[in-house]
Amino acid sequence: MASTVIGAGITVEGEITTDEDIVVAGTVRGKLSAKEAVTIEHGATVEADVVGSSLTVAGALTGNVTANERVDLQSGSRVVGNVKASRVTIADGALFKGNVDMDV
Amino acid sequence: MAQARTTTRGDGAREARIGSGARIRGKIHGEGDLLVEGQVEGDVAIRGELTIAEGASVVGEAVEAQGVTIAGALEGDVAATGQVRLAAGARVRGNLRGSAVSIEDGARFSGRLDCEFDLPPELGGSSRGETRGRPAARR
Repeated sequence: MASTVIGAGITVEGEITTDEDIVVAGTVRGKLSAKEAVTIEHGATVEADVVGSSLTVAGALTGNVTANERVDLQSGSRVVGNVKASRVTIADGALFKGNVDMDV
Repeated sequence: MAQARTTTRGDGAREARIGSGARIRGKIHGEGDLLVEGQVEGDVAIRGELTIAEGASVVGEAVEAQGVTIAGALEGDVAATGQVRLAAGARVRGNLRGSAVSIEDGARFSGRLDCEFDLPPELGGSSRGETRGRPAARR
């Protein structure tokens, strides 16, 4: 289990920072930054700029993303914002609007 | 998840957890239990059990939950519809309100207790509901 879990019924309005990984199944508005993996689950809503080592999105995300390693937008995800990471995947069925910067 | 101790109402009331390396500045609200092992600066209002683990800290104006268990540090007023439990090692500054409040040996608390209950007849309470005790911890 992830060290930090924002459960499905929970809303956080503000700034989350963690040295570990984080799973969002609920709602986050504000800012989200983790030293390790960030996972936005199906059904989750994130309206925040996200920083992490890697990011996996299956839910809805509005905000700019910076990941040191990779970003995976899974089928069913809905992402509006700019993505900056050296590796980016966008699965069939993912909705995405924004720029991708793979630092080439 | 096999961790749910309380009956979970509705769907998706999965336990939420703020890990020991995490820090939240802002408001947390919603449905379901919340376990805080890290640091929270801001108000908490949940419908579920709130647990503040040893080593964790919550600093806010108001903390609302159904039941509250504190083993870490808390600054702010607590309003619980259920029990408030201060475990050994807890450090709490603020007012506590709940259906029942328990303070274990080794807990440090400064604030007011607001807990309504019926005094037993031998302490001058009437048999039912007339006299209300309201102990105040702070002198």
